Amino acid sequence: MTQTEKLGKEGEIWAVGGGKGGTGKTFITSSIGTYLAQKGRRVILVDMDIGGANLHSFFGIDRPARSLTSFFETGAALSDLAVRTEIESMSLITGDIHSLSAENIKFSQKLKLFRQIMKLNAQNVIIDLGAGSHGNTLDTFLIADRMIIVIAPEIIAIENMYHFVKAALFRQVKKSLKEYGLKEIVQHVWDRRERYGVKNVKDLIDYLKDAYPYFGAILDRELGHFRLHLVLNMVRSGQDIQLGAAIKSVLMKYLGVPVHFSGYVMYDDTVWRSVRDRKPFMRNYLSTGTAKEIETLVENIVLARDVTVPGGMS
Amino acid sequence: MTRTDLRKSYEILELPDSASLREVQNAYLRLRKLYAGSSVALAPLEEEFSENTRRKILQQVEDAYDKLRSALNGERTNAKAGGAGERGDTVPELDRLEEIVYSGPVLRKIRERVNLNENAVFQELKIRTELLRALEEERFEVLPQVVYLKGHLQSIARLLGLQPDRVVEDYLRRYRDWKDDRGKE
Ligand SMILES: Nc1ncnc2c1ncn2[C@@H]1O[C@H](COP(=O)(O)OP(=O)(O)O)[C@@H](O)[C@H]1O
Ligand SMILES: [Mg+2]
Repeated sequence: MTQTEKLGKEGEIWAVGGGKGGTGKTFITSSIGTYLAQKGRRVILVDMDIGGANLHSFFGIDRPARSLTSFFETGAALSDLAVRTEIESMSLITGDIHSLSAENIKFSQKLKLFRQIMKLNAQNVIIDLGAGSHGNTLDTFLIADRMIIVIAPEIIAIENMYHFVKAALFRQVKKSLKEYGLKEIVQHVWDRRERYGVKNVKDLIDYLKDAYPYFGAILDRELGHFRLHLVLNMVRSGQDIQLGAAIKSVLMKYLGVPVHFSGYVMYDDTVWRSVRDRKPFMRNYLSTGTAKEIETLVENIVLARDVTVPGGMS
Repeated sequence: MTRTDLRKSYEILELPDSASLREVQNAYLRLRKLYAGSSVALAPLEEEFSENTRRKILQQVEDAYDKLRSALNGERTNAKAGGAGERGDTVPELDRLEEIVYSGPVLRKIRERVNLNENAVFQELKIRTELLRALEEERFEVLPQVVYLKGHLQSIARLLGLQPDRVVEDYLRRYRDWKDDRGKE
């Protein structure tokens, strides 16, 4: 196996979400992509922050020649919309859409988009999601092979992230059972959750498994791919990093979802400076601690591994 | 104990199967602190998940720790031929968490259970050994004034991953009872 092959299969889709805006999703997306491309992988970044697309500006691209707008408005093929970046072997599909917001993409367009994303000719397709927990955002998150969550160590970001994860999990449960014609049952139980003693999505899953034993096998299999890779950004202290470990634990124990705490990135002034100067961070600040942190978190995501949390009680 | 049992216990403590006794202890302390205290990581979910969920998690953490500790202690004793006395001693059982009254002896049990000796407490908290002993043995007459005592109890609670408020409340109630009794004499 070559170094490049070690970084994952062909055509892996990674999605970066997490609920709240401003936690660094776009920065992390751009840095992950740059790192993988620098390691020789063919990478395509897709900006799915519909309405707030700005991934291109992280690469100094002002006005992209092509964008997702043409996909929605003129039916252009997705693969024709990729523009080159200054990083070799990495291109970008910008989401510079003025005419749309996440809510008003049609269902058929969404399916077509997903089909074309899966067919993109790249070793890694990395999708930058917008803020919020809208259905279209969640569905995009759920098609990914690697589901990456970016948060910052502050209460609103954590709150929004839990909301995002619960909504994604609920959607996945519905989606899983829908394929077996059982979608209505999920909504039925949820709508009458008080009667069924169901308070949250974890209870819902437990209830369904309990009440309908053959659901158990289906859900186990279908939820098997629901695995989160948590990235804590804008860290300022060791205590923040401990918080990352605590969040991982809470997600696993309260929601029953497998989670890896893949890595953390310190708050670093050169990050926003490089964004301001429209320079790809990983190219210009390769020797910084932050670049090292990105490297660690990408390797951990690839290997589905956890970062070492420093300063655990000795 | 079966292999599956062991694996499950490691899983609850969020550790790989290869974790050492030390790592098991650290994970236990960390999780106990998280689920017995208040954390930003928990606050947003508290409304939706009942207190019962939290208690169940704490109990699972306790049970997992018990199992792994005895399994790993056993392993260590076996590894050293005839290693008698090598941590083979059992610590007195603690009652279910929610029923505990944090008296001095209970605080000592918990401290011993997580393998923190008197010297470690001194290193971490600068609480002198004589004072710690008096506190744990409830020799109230030699303890400092309540304001200071409260501070010590809070830092001991934090070190042990306990809820400081509860520890202070329980301990000071016992202290006051003693004081009242003495007043009557
Ligand atoms: N680790 C960091 N240290 C300092 N600034 C950061 C860091 N990560 C992101 N930023 C800055 O925070 C702002 C928001 O980041 P962005 O990636 O656009 O967030 P999102 O996509 O989640 O809305 C940007 O100005 C970015 O440069
Ligand atoms: Mg963004």
